[in-house]
Amino acid sequence: MTVFKTFLKVLRSCKGTVILYSVILILFAVLNMKSGDNSFNFIAEKPDIFIINHDQREGITENFIHYFEENANIVNLKNDESAIKDALFYRDVNYIITIPSNFREDFLKHKNPIIEVQSTGDYMASLSQMMLDRYLRFANVYNDTFSSEEEVIEHLTDTLMKTVDVQVASKLDTDHLTQVTNYYNFANYSILAGCVFVICMILFSFQREVIRKRTMISSMNYKKYNRKLLFSNGLFAIFLWAFYVLVSIVLFGTSIFTSHFIFYLLNSFLFTLCALSIAFLIGNLIHNREAMNGIVNVIALGSSFLCGAFVPVEYLPSFVLRIAHFLPSYWYINTNERLKTMESFQLETLKPILMNMVVLIFFILLFVIITNIISSKLRRKSA
Amino acid sequence: MKSIVQVKNLTKEYKQLRAIDDLSFEVQKGEILGLLGPNGSGKSTTINCILSLLNFSQGSIQIFGSEMGPNAYQLKEKIGVVFQDVAVFEELTVIENIDYFCGLYVRDKKLRKQYIEDALQLVGLEEFQSFYPKQLSGGLLRRLNIACGVAHKPQLIILDEPTVAVDPQSRNNILDGIKTLRNQGATIIYTTHYMEEVEILCNRVIILDKGKIIASGTTDELKALAKLEEKVTVEVSDLEEKYIEEISQFKNAQDVTYHEGILCISYKKGKNNLVELMDYLKKEKILYHKIFSERPTLNDVFLELTGKDLRD
Repeated sequence: MTVFKTFLKVLRSCKGTVILYSVILILFAVLNMKSGDNSFNFIAEKPDIFIINHDQREGITENFIHYFEENANIVNLKNDESAIKDALFYRDVNYIITIPSNFREDFLKHKNPIIEVQSTGDYMASLSQMMLDRYLRFANVYNDTFSSEEEVIEHLTDTLMKTVDVQVASKLDTDHLTQVTNYYNFANYSILAGCVFVICMILFSFQREVIRKRTMISSMNYKKYNRKLLFSNGLFAIFLWAFYVLVSIVLFGTSIFTSHFIFYLLNSFLFTLCALSIAFLIGNLIHNREAMNGIVNVIALGSSFLCGAFVPVEYLPSFVLRIAHFLPSYWYINTNERLKTMESFQLETLKPILMNMVVLIFFILLFVIITNIISSKLRRKSA
Repeated sequence: MKSIVQVKNLTKEYKQLRAIDDLSFEVQKGEILGLLGPNGSGKSTTINCILSLLNFSQGSIQIFGSEMGPNAYQLKEKIGVVFQDVAVFEELTVIENIDYFCGLYVRDKKLRKQYIEDALQLVGLEEFQSFYPKQLSGGLLRRLNIACGVAHKPQLIILDEPTVAVDPQSRNNILDGIKTLRNQGATIIYTTHYMEEVEILCNRVIILDKGKIIASGTTDELKALAKLEEKVTVEVSDLEEKYIEEISQFKNAQDVTYHEGILCISYKKGKNNLVELMDYLKKEKILYHKIFSERPTLNDVFLELTGKDLRD
């Protein structure tokens, strides 16, 4: 108990930092919960269109212009070639439609009047093109079917002005899962920073050359002493993990108890063990208390940013993601993100998640092996 | 007398360097053995080998009649070490630090409590038991370092320069504590640079240089080796060269130096050397400020044996 009791006393000096990391995590989670709806909403995009009309605004011409007024943002430009080119270049307008002077008459006489267009060539221009094609296709069909202009306009209006409600057929509470995923993604930072900082500080105190020498010459078995120290640090890491899990239960309530939750637990537990192995590696490499804060920031903040704990991975450049593959945080966050959209838990769907967990276990083993090599080299050097 | 420590033909090599060269010595029960030598002489390497903190190339070390090794936990139970560098936890108070290091040896809580109280009393830190190391002065910190090393009441205590950079009050306290430990029956190996401490404390002294014993014995025996009887120092300004020449011709004078107003004369032997010098100064009407005579120190012995100062 001597080692464990002293471990707790040394840990006492790090409590401020652990509280800070925990408060940051809780604040983030609360802000994330209050930031509102995270569900899938679909809003129709409206391209910027400029219409040059050389015809009278009557009949089918009027209907044609009205259709675009409803479905696009009509931009007013000076009808001047250089002004139009500038507007296209600076993306002030996506699409320019020129209606010829006899459009109405030629259309009704089935002469297929030619509508000239100019576009920026981007996806908004493509959308405008699709709108134009859609209108002309239906207009030609109705013009062939009905004899009067009024009937054509009536049917066109009926068809084109209809709106469709889109619903995503899913049993998942996406709002809730997004919040839980964001919480556990951010916990990547708190777990990593907490474990690395505290364990390095503790190792720094216990493994200081003079303290180590005094312990080695004592009657306590040194291997047993090291095992006790390892056990105490492991216990701290597990306590930290359990505390963050408890916070998630308090924040999200009992609704968190779903099949997803088991995997969030398993994933975060494996990541905690990984953070523990990283902490031991750094603790064996770095023997400077003053440098510890900087190192913790580089490791915890750096990997959290690179792997998408703070910024969703969709927004990260591909080269950053390539680097992130070499960090355990990436695989941990990737599992959380997959869980967010996972509907069924069958072996086939779980495969990528289980693979990610295997990668985490691989990282743990790798760090343990490197730590052992380094510490045995240091021991040989000092003997 | 019973041998507590037996070092036989100890040799430690670091690649090209032989740090300890065929070293053999014994420490008897109840004695304080002084280990002297300049930096790099092999004192700390010898101690680290005795404690099995370092592997050695040749030789054997027996403590309490048994072979010492990294796993000799029964032997380690009887040994206490105070290193030169202060080895305490900054995060623990004085009493917590002593409790931790004592706890590495003594499992019984009640007994440990008693031992901690004794250790606090030994070094005079009773009033500071709830202080953190940062709040202690250098001297008090050294006292805490000693308390942590000896709280478990070891039979063999190794003290590696425990009074370096300590104020006089703390030094006296530490020296008194060491005497108390000896009186309680502990055997002590003591390394220091301070000759007066060795002369006050040690029954026997070993002088090391380049990993070898160059002399050993009681302080009187060692001083006899120096072939010096007396050293006279005079503070005198502007002493002409001819006077120094004449003083050098004195019958017993072995070495005469004059540097920055200080005249030093070493005498091989003889009586009335001081009187002879004072008569000469009076006759030549040479004014002097202070004059004093002293017996040779262990530093002089070391100088005599190796040609260099102990602190070189």
